[in-house]
Amino acid sequence: MNGELDFVTELGQLTVHITGEGIDVFGPASSPASPEVPPTREALRELARTDPLGRYRPLSGARTLPGNWRAHFADLESFTAAVGEVYPLAFEHNAQWETGELRVVGLEAVLARHSGRYGGAKELDADGRELARRVLCARCVRVPVWAAPAAAKLPPGGIACPEPCSVMVALCREAAIWQKERPARAQPDAAVAFAAFAEPGNEVREAYLRARYPEQDG
Amino acid sequence: MSGRALVLAGHGSHYSGSSSAPVHAHADRIRSLGGWEEVRVAFWKEEPQLSRALDGLAADDVTVVPIFISSGYFVQEVIPREMGLDGRMTRQDGRTIRYTAPIGAHTALARVVVQRAREAGAGPGDALAVLGHGTPRNPDSERNVYARTADVAAIGGFAEVTTVFLDQEPNMRDVFARTAAETVVLVPLFIADGWHVGETIPEDLALDGPETRRGGRRLRYAGAAGTHPAMVDVISELAAEAAAW
Repeated sequence: MNGELDFVTELGQLTVHITGEGIDVFGPASSPASPEVPPTREALRELARTDPLGRYRPLSGARTLPGNWRAHFADLESFTAAVGEVYPLAFEHNAQWETGELRVVGLEAVLARHSGRYGGAKELDADGRELARRVLCARCVRVPVWAAPAAAKLPPGGIACPEPCSVMVALCREAAIWQKERPARAQPDAAVAFAAFAEPGNEVREAYLRARYPEQDG
Repeated sequence: MSGRALVLAGHGSHYSGSSSAPVHAHADRIRSLGGWEEVRVAFWKEEPQLSRALDGLAADDVTVVPIFISSGYFVQEVIPREMGLDGRMTRQDGRTIRYTAPIGAHTALARVVVQRAREAGAGPGDALAVLGHGTPRNPDSERNVYARTADVAAIGGFAEVTTVFLDQEPNMRDVFARTAAETVVLVPLFIADGWHVGETIPEDLALDGPETRRGGRRLRYAGAAGTHPAMVDVISELAAEAAAW
């Protein structure tokens, strides 16, 4: 590494400090005093698999990365490989976004190619689709450039998201069902799995229902 | 673009990391063995998504191996659709993409089943029951399970070899009725030690653990074949065969 290097940048919830000694990655709410994890793909993948409450994280960009850890990488190759396990394809997509080469696919096209169990997701109306994006993407560090392809610049730490993910499709499927038969609302329950949208208490479900059907508040 | 890349295409899950864990583990092992410029994973229900699996890939020769047992819906429809494949060889954006059969379709998988059975204590006097998922909704689902059972029988080394299913006949509940040996070793022909292998099958069969005794007989329950480290050999054979196309 170059001995004169010394700068700090962000990627999602990670803080990255690049110096002539190597690359230090810090998780959320972490410091040089935080426990060090091995600088490997396997270690960072395992770390990113569950949130601080031990719940499985199906959405890699969810703002629920565990905190208080750091990892030191001696070279760029091991850094990109390991951080790519936390945010898959983040480096590739950001590089392609910068050069205008990123293939962007919108929600309409993604829903149109689903059939079978998820075929019903395309029944969700335009307001529902926009709300699903707002509710789910607000919980994710990835920037849905698929919803606003004209946006030219990513915010600091932003990761370009070129296409709605399978979690978004699953939410649209449930929201299309709610559109036909409105469910009762429940108190958000952190114990309910992140993507269990059919389950009362799911945080994303309850946020969507509260915003879509506010009259129930009365 | 230049070089060769391998993509392991799996199902993944919105609810449990155990679904994708073996796919990641196989990819890690293959990376450590070398021979590929890049080894990637891609999933239907996790990231990286199947539809983005080739994004930013430097290689111009890509082999995609489906980490599925059945040659059904996901292998025939979902993966090709999501990755833009139009057959076993696709030319796309200056690349050649080789799309292999799923691991469940390769005879080498039988060797992994035998290893699993032996590790669970199976000997020459015992029965080996290969447990597939199956479904009455898709007759294709059972095909690879029966084929691999026949391969296991051909390898030999067990008093009996039979097939049972989770979700169709012959059902796993009848595993003792379908065998005569005192000890039966049940090897799930599943990709992961997930919901079925870890929960529903032990519950449905009222298993006591790795070994269950019933009426003077013994049922030994092995781990999923798909999580065995030797799965790397199956993947490598599929990829090597595709390289010769």
